[in-house]
Amino acid sequence: MPSLNRLLILLLLAAALPVAAQSTAFTKDNFGDNKEGLREALRELKTGDEEYRADPPRYAQALPHFLAAQTFNPNNAALNVKIGDCYLNSATKTAALPYLRKAAKLDVTADARTHYLLARALHLSAKWTEAIGEYQQAKPVGNNTRNGDAQSFTANDLQRRMLECRNGQKLMARPARVFIDNAGPELNSSASDYGPVVSADESTILITSRRAGSTGGKKDPEGNGFFEDIYQATWRGKAWSAAANLGAPVNTDDHNATVGLAPDGQRMLVYAGTNGGDLLEATLGGATWDKPRRLNSRINTNSHETSASYSPDGRLLYFVSDRDGGAGGSDIYKVDLAGKNTPVNLGPVINTAYGEEGVFMQPDGKTMFFSSEGHNSMGGYDIFKSVYENGKWSEPENLGWPINTPDDDVFFVTSASGRHGYYSSDRPGGLGAKDIYRITFLGPEKQPVLNEEDQLLASRLAPVKQAVLAPAVAVATAQVTILKGTVTDDATHQPLDAAIDLIDNTSGQTIANFRSNATSGRYLVSLPSGTNYGIVVRQDSYLFHSENFDLPAGAAFAEVVKDIPLKRLEIGTTIVLRNIFFDTGKATLRPESTAELERLQKLLTETPALKLEMAGHTDDVGDAAMNQDLSQRRAQAVVAYLTQHGVAAARLTAAGYGETKPEAPNTTKANRQLNRRTEFKVTAK
Amino acid sequence: MMQNALLFLVLVGTSFAAQAQVDTVRASTLPGPQLAEKAYNSGLVSFNQQRYPAALASFDQAIAAKPDFAAAYTNRAGTRYELKEYPQALTDYDQALKLEPSNYASYFGRARAHEAQDHLAEAEQDYSEALKAKPDYGPAWYNRGVLRFEKGNYQAARDDFDGAIKADPKLAYAYHDRASAQQRLNNYAAATQDYTQALALQPDLLSALLNRATAERHTGQLPQALKDYDAYLARKSDNALAFNNRGGARFENKDYAGAIADFSQALQLDAKYAYAWNNRAAGQLKLEKYTDAAADASAAIKLKPDYAEAYLNRGHAREMLRQAEEACQDWRKAAELGLTVGNSYAAAAGCAGETAE
Repeated sequence: MPSLNRLLILLLLAAALPVAAQSTAFTKDNFGDNKEGLREALRELKTGDEEYRADPPRYAQALPHFLAAQTFNPNNAALNVKIGDCYLNSATKTAALPYLRKAAKLDVTADARTHYLLARALHLSAKWTEAIGEYQQAKPVGNNTRNGDAQSFTANDLQRRMLECRNGQKLMARPARVFIDNAGPELNSSASDYGPVVSADESTILITSRRAGSTGGKKDPEGNGFFEDIYQATWRGKAWSAAANLGAPVNTDDHNATVGLAPDGQRMLVYAGTNGGDLLEATLGGATWDKPRRLNSRINTNSHETSASYSPDGRLLYFVSDRDGGAGGSDIYKVDLAGKNTPVNLGPVINTAYGEEGVFMQPDGKTMFFSSEGHNSMGGYDIFKSVYENGKWSEPENLGWPINTPDDDVFFVTSASGRHGYYSSDRPGGLGAKDIYRITFLGPEKQPVLNEEDQLLASRLAPVKQAVLAPAVAVATAQVTILKGTVTDDATHQPLDAAIDLIDNTSGQTIANFRSNATSGRYLVSLPSGTNYGIVVRQDSYLFHSENFDLPAGAAFAEVVKDIPLKRLEIGTTIVLRNIFFDTGKATLRPESTAELERLQKLLTETPALKLEMAGHTDDVGDAAMNQDLSQRRAQAVVAYLTQHGVAAARLTAAGYGETKPEAPNTTKANRQLNRRTEFKVTAK
Repeated sequence: MMQNALLFLVLVGTSFAAQAQVDTVRASTLPGPQLAEKAYNSGLVSFNQQRYPAALASFDQAIAAKPDFAAAYTNRAGTRYELKEYPQALTDYDQALKLEPSNYASYFGRARAHEAQDHLAEAEQDYSEALKAKPDYGPAWYNRGVLRFEKGNYQAARDDFDGAIKADPKLAYAYHDRASAQQRLNNYAAATQDYTQALALQPDLLSALLNRATAERHTGQLPQALKDYDAYLARKSDNALAFNNRGGARFENKDYAGAIADFSQALQLDAKYAYAWNNRAAGQLKLEKYTDAAADASAAIKLKPDYAEAYLNRGHAREMLRQAEEACQDWRKAAELGLTVGNSYAAAAGCAGETAE
């Protein structure tokens, strides 16, 4: 019986052998009948190997030679490994998988490195369980102390990769509810397009592209297309305009890449590869961008500074640097642009021992998006969100699958509303290489509502509808108001380059200064919720214009369009003072009025011949006579303030108009608020 | 269902009407021709044989012979009630009560006649009078409880059903309806108990199974609820409402395919059942079949143009179908029809336009 058993085993083995694949060597024994072909294949192999074994390896150059040899002999395990490795180090990493799978099949005794490469390819294809299996079979290879050795990986590397796979499994089980749309041929080309930055209202987008037509026409020696240039497009209601090369002086013969855009689209941050990587700033003067200027030496060091983002008031800069003293890899720092303080590392909640990249501060001034190789990344850089509240950053939250992938996901920006995000990705269905994609955040799943009936009375049995209440909806919109519009001359309607001051009415401090665009007159201001804002628009030889936005903490996203016609100082001109506040029903000036009153005082001091009539107006709530009296007393209160602060009484008169001169019908709360106002009229100049 | 209801009304009507009669007058022992009494007795026989025109003629004779014959007025009123001559019935009850002011049977009868004419306040008043005259009269408790339940006064209804049960501990309907009152008062455990009692007293009172399932769902006893629906549908498979409700329970149980099958069955039984169309749309949404969901919700809206929930659900489907503007319109419409949550969805999705107030 034992011999019978042995025979059976032999038979089974014999049956199995012909189907078990075997690696086919590039030898005469195997290709004796095609000597010329073999010679050519070996030549390709040799050239490919020279590139592949260079230090650092030149994968892009090696790959075509390996593929040529592969056409001749597709069944060589070692060649399949090399092709897989080249792909893993290219822009199309997932192409490595079939080659590495085949290599593993052809050589069942595959070494640890083959397992590792196969694990990487599986990992990058989001085949988490299989990837973990292969990582487990891989053993550390190479010199653990040598960083950047592409051939080596440590036990820690393996552990981390497996952790990333487990993160990926969890994140993929709960996909983010988003639409991810290709931004279309207006923005994307067959070359790599990436690094989108948008204005807060999504009216302007700037991107980096390696498409043909690059300034200087230079091509990247690494085979990554043309040198980078910056392109701009504007939103046309349904689609983007075709992206246009910004040209000189922003684009040069060298690489020019987008980094950030101020919420109003008037200032841009760009990256230059010089000095180890530096950040520059350009300003939009009318219709053209000026020459980018290097940011100061507190920001740019000999280290690598890459990405950056403005705070909504334009005073702070969040940026990425790999300078000494960080947590490891690149870290995110914050710096006061105009001050003298050294940049501050955002600390361990944000910065990990691994790389952080692509920082973006949302126009609400507290929600930050950034990419990190640490935290619970599913591989490479993943995009995270953290909110600064009560003096600390919240635990970074992975934006999840399918926004994040096992590969690098970097340079993500959002609109002010937070409803849309933009980033670049190389995914199927694109126009070629990396493309710009727009993400629409759908928020938590919207629950459907069902209806049922009961037959509750035995003697009736008529159906009674059951009240099924719709669940409450978490409306997670950004807590910021976007105020935008055009500043023009009231008489000629020509656009004006005006200064815009943003004032915190409670403290009286100026928070930020902006300018409207000289060519278009357009302006945009981000107003994070939680402040009573005074907004003053001014230009020499015009009377100032004031607006008030009292936005309580938690006020949801809103976009307000307010065109501002500035009036020249002419007799009869009337100006509404939106930032003068009284106690309810009284003529007592509230402290928040001080900034506006000081502005008025300054105007009178600077224009000695100016005489004004201060006018008080109310809405139609309450008794008309009492309203008349209140408006008169309020006008007088303003006059009293000014005379107490040195303005001659003879230059001022006070008039109360009560409810007789409404700006709008007193039919809504908003209109009534509009009608309750203090204004002045120029009576002499 | 309606058949059951009618049968019950007839039974209750008959038995209550029979109780409302005065005893057969013993004509043989009374002196004189006793024409009125004879006619009266003959009317009663006809009534019990449900020969109402004959009964009416006899009671007419009795009253003609004896114009102060209170019982004859009461019974003629009962006969007219059966003949659906409600105004005439009311007149007779009025007359009977004039002749015999504390007769609970006349109050009870008049209450029913008022109810038939939708004079609900008067009906409730008369049931109360009947109870004053006869506090242990179960049917008056029960009927007043039903009226109060329908008015939405569930607390008072529950007390009335208590009274009915006290008067007649075997009255399954009273347990059933007290359970419903408890359910409306959010006392789901008590409701479950009463429905169970109703079923014990009257196993064919199937609506108790349906309603007990609802109560169980409110107390998180989804498996028991599903069992009750199954038991109901095993015995009565032609009720679209029951399929719709089991579908709802299956939906709650995250068995969306099973829910859709039930809603489909409900629609097979009643293609005009808007709720089942809407609910199937909800199931399709969960299975990410957005085109089907939108189509089902549209069918519901076609049947019921003011159907807020269907607009809301179609909005969800259309959002996923990338019909952003149409989704916004649907959410806004849902809000306009009373589901204000629609405005929140519209705001969260960045829909253009003002929030409807």
